[in-house]
Amino acid sequence: MVQFTLPRNSKITKGKHFPAPEGAKKVKSFKIYRYDPETGANPRWDTFDVAVDQCGPMVLDAILHIKNTMDPSLAFRRSCREGVCGSCAMNIGGRNTLACTHAWDEVPGDAVQISPLPQMPVLKDLIPDLTLFFAQYSSIEPWLHTDTPMPQKEWTQSPQDRAKLDGLYECILCACCTTSCPSYWWNGEKYLGPAALLQAYRWLVDSRDEAIGDRLDDLEDPFKLYRCHTIMNCAQVCPKGLNPAKAIAGIKRMLVERVV
Amino acid sequence: MSNDSQFRTALGRARGLGSAHHGVSAFIVERSTSVALVPLCLWAVYAAIKVAPLGYESAVLMLRQPVNAIMSLLLVGVSFLHMRVGLRVVIEDYVHTPAAKILALLANSTLCWLGWAIATFSILWVAFVGGPVH
Repeated sequence: MVQFTLPRNSKITKGKHFPAPEGAKKVKSFKIYRYDPETGANPRWDTFDVAVDQCGPMVLDAILHIKNTMDPSLAFRRSCREGVCGSCAMNIGGRNTLACTHAWDEVPGDAVQISPLPQMPVLKDLIPDLTLFFAQYSSIEPWLHTDTPMPQKEWTQSPQDRAKLDGLYECILCACCTTSCPSYWWNGEKYLGPAALLQAYRWLVDSRDEAIGDRLDDLEDPFKLYRCHTIMNCAQVCPKGLNPAKAIAGIKRMLVERVV
Repeated sequence: MSNDSQFRTALGRARGLGSAHHGVSAFIVERSTSVALVPLCLWAVYAAIKVAPLGYESAVLMLRQPVNAIMSLLLVGVSFLHMRVGLRVVIEDYVHTPAAKILALLANSTLCWLGWAIATFSILWVAFVGGPVH
């Protein structure tokens, strides 16, 4: 059955408190999930009182400030710091989003609570293991499939057909949507999840692709596709404003069109 | 399947047992029965309100009329079909122990078929014989 409580070794304990430096003008508390597999200890909530007048406006700015000035052992991923790479996806204030594009003063409540993306195994602190997520993306073969010999120049596409990819190609694979999906929590090993399915649809509606039938064959499965119950968490949390649920509905519509 | 070997690659895990190549027919049944249940339920509410104050004899007489008997048969048939398909999804979502899952799926199917058979027999009995079973 589904597990509704955390296993004993995953129960989160109270951690350390890092006070703000003396003389700090504006202080905001950050409650951050900490886990170090090398110690064998349970995860814990550490609280950092950050002098936010000394750091930038985004949650990532605050986390970098914590790492630089309060606790260098804090582990997290980040790269572009402008919502393009998808590395700094984490659960902030109970919502999956990108730390680099989410302002800390927009998080409701006294403390900004930060934990790794839900559902995935935690490697350390705020770093989830996304291996299966990327393998699921890889399994939908996200590249152009053609049998026609390569044209001398490029594969041509009308502006209208190119426009069909808008709202799909922008996905940065941050995994906010997939890890926010309850259906993925229950059946993550078998359900492909919203991100992989959004990309599957991106190739299904690409006018240059010649493998629509094969792609639909591979997707028609009670678990890989039909675990989507239109819960819509994916569309709610997508930091790029995309709508994976709509794309999944598009795949279901194509499968119906094939038989009706 | 996914845990049968700690050395299975991530792509191997993601591909799993491959596609079952079915699911669209269940999806169509689920959606079409949902739509069909809208008018059927509206009729059921209308019929219940109409017949409730008139007593037992009137209810029997109502079910003996062909249109009402056919609507009742459709209502229970479509309801149990919808329930069987819908509950199957719920079981697949939440029950992951293989033995419990198979048992739950079999119980769901059996109880839905049984409920449908009893309801259909009862409607036909009232429609053609016209009274309680003695």
